[in-house]
Amino acid sequence: MAIDFELTQEQKELQELARRFARDVMAPRAAKADKLGEFPEDVYRKAWELGLMNLNVPTEFGGSGLGELDQCIITEELAYACGGMTTSISANCLALQPINLAATKEQKERLLKPFCASYNLASFALTEPSGGSDVASMKTTLKREGDEYVINGEKVFITNAPHASIYTLFATVDAARRHKGVTAIVVPRNTPGITVGKDEDKLGHRASATSSITFENARVPVANRLGEEGDGFKIAMNTLDSTRTPIGALATGIARAALDHAAKYSLQRSSFGKPIGEHQAIALKLADMAQKVTAARLLVWYSAWLADQGKPVPMESSIAKCFASDSAMEVANEAIQVFGGYGYMREYPVEKLLRDAKLTQIYEGSNEIQRLVIAKELLKRFA
Amino acid sequence: MDVLVCVKQVPDPETKLRVAPSGKALDTDGVKFTINNTYDEAMVEEALRMKEEFGFTSVRALSVGPARAEEALRATLAMGADEAVLVETPPGMELDPLFTARLLAAAAADIPHDLVLVGRHAQDDEAGAVGSALGEYLGLPSYSFVTELTPVAASHQLKMRRYLEGGEEVFSGPFPAVLSILKGAKDPRTPTLPNILKARKKPLKKIPVKDLEAKVSVLKGGFQPTSAVTSFTLPPPRSGAKMLEFQTPEEAATKLLKVLKEEAKVL
Ligand SMILES: Cc1cc2nc3c(=O)[nH]c(=O)nc-3n(C[C@H](O)[C@H](O)[C@H](O)COP(=O)(O)OP(=O)(O)OC[C@H]3O[C@@H](n4cnc5c(N)ncnc54)[C@H](O)[C@@H]3O)c2cc1C
Repeated sequence: MAIDFELTQEQKELQELARRFARDVMAPRAAKADKLGEFPEDVYRKAWELGLMNLNVPTEFGGSGLGELDQCIITEELAYACGGMTTSISANCLALQPINLAATKEQKERLLKPFCASYNLASFALTEPSGGSDVASMKTTLKREGDEYVINGEKVFITNAPHASIYTLFATVDAARRHKGVTAIVVPRNTPGITVGKDEDKLGHRASATSSITFENARVPVANRLGEEGDGFKIAMNTLDSTRTPIGALATGIARAALDHAAKYSLQRSSFGKPIGEHQAIALKLADMAQKVTAARLLVWYSAWLADQGKPVPMESSIAKCFASDSAMEVANEAIQVFGGYGYMREYPVEKLLRDAKLTQIYEGSNEIQRLVIAKELLKRFA
Repeated sequence: MDVLVCVKQVPDPETKLRVAPSGKALDTDGVKFTINNTYDEAMVEEALRMKEEFGFTSVRALSVGPARAEEALRATLAMGADEAVLVETPPGMELDPLFTARLLAAAAADIPHDLVLVGRHAQDDEAGAVGSALGEYLGLPSYSFVTELTPVAASHQLKMRRYLEGGEEVFSGPFPAVLSILKGAKDPRTPTLPNILKARKKPLKKIPVKDLEAKVSVLKGGFQPTSAVTSFTLPPPRSGAKMLEFQTPEEAATKLLKVLKEEAKVL
């Protein structure tokens, strides 16, 4: 009995908490927030109150102190109600993970504790206008002057940027050194010299806010640097290694929502004298959708479980994220097909799922990059 | 003051229910159980509110049920109860409201209590009988369908509210007592994630139901159910809703009126 897929009692309770929050607080707001591109801050505040926000921060610094599997269980439930809100809620985990991984005790006391003690948002600022995939080519600079770094440059597509109180910024102390120059630093939002761009008008995840951040001679104490100069690339990659699997869980939540909507609708809608779900063409679609949702969840759980055992998961986390997000896209697409013309209408919930699913193939490492990683890891075994 | 809250685990309202092959019970195979009865949640909230407002010593939770009922107790601990006791019944053991009340009474005898609270009724069998019976077995006054209570410790009196059809009643009576709570002064709180994790570490004692046999046998009715279910049926499936197609509000109203008059015959 080495394998056990049964959730612990505690995990079931966390799942139930997330499910209720998703159903009672997020779901009723999802359609309107999506339509108007609203940022439902009261929902996020409530998520923080319930402890659903800083899941990966150890309890001694005010977070929930959960492992990856627990995070994935919760994330799937939240995303079942709204992918966009889940992106904004889990952006804190992404932004705070570099601090969890690389900060000194003193920095955690100073930066994490007060942050977690009240409702606050954080952003992970890595992507630049000239490229997100090629991290080592970043152009935002950190120039040391005494006890401070002077920051110049621009980051784009930064989740929660307009609302966050801190940014975990990745910039370079020497662009010529490529990834060896990348350095991580925590930047308070109210630092002079920071301008946040307009809230981007997006295809999906419209309840989340995304914008650029411009730094013009913004000065931040050296004491806010995470690790040493040049450690930033590794910190960013290690961070993404641990948040990639939860993105798979987010995609699984979207896919499960699409499957449920489609299955229910297929029993309500009739054509040619019977529910469409009884026409084999639709039944087979539903069966394929169910396979994808189930497989996605198992890959996510497996990767998270390995990570919780302290094992490195470069390949497994990429497989989980890539498969789950591709599945979400396919399942949401098929859900629209099951709904027919109604599926194409904004009034019905499934077209949103397709728009929301799309992002999961792009952010936190595009699926092309995930495939490169998977292939590299695979081929290592035969080289 | 010590409060004892009695909670029951019930099937998830969203789960599909089936009758067991015996025809006398719900088939619990594959049924998802919610963590707690919603009416119990309102009752537990009232207990916690009182603890916080009046500085009570403790809120303890008690449940009679199979091993899975521990989930209901953990959820109650996550809301804020301090300790819990599960009277664990073996699989398949039959209970009725009066037998349950006897078991609760026997267990409650060893748990400090000035107030014993139960929900107005359980969402599953809707019997609503446990509270009054429990009062009887404990030899305590029982008050039913209370909406808010205020203890006056000095005089050992409770001030209680109760909604009536179109009005409200305020009344008082002595405690210790058993109360069935219709709805508390506040909406039930959602347990926070840290509290769910803390609840794991709170004391939860399990008492095999057999251990209470001697105590229950001397109560009127004894160590067995008083009543027996002879048959159990689900409501007949409702016929589908009818959708009216319309272009204008006037057309909708005309069509609706016609249906109400001619088909539903309610007008
Ligand atoms: C809504 C939203 C929220 C986001 N939130 C954040 C955030 O909070 N923080 C943050 O730092 N970033 C964030 N991002 C940025 C996101 O991570 C990047 O968009 C993503 O990494 C891709 O980078 P890019 O857009 O520059 O595309 P590019 O890197 O320019 O890639 C363009 C295309 O080329 C492909 N490609 C690139 N290199 C290769 C290669 N070597 N082999 C094969 N194909 C390749 C890519 O897969 C992609 O299809 C967000 C993006 C969006 C849309």
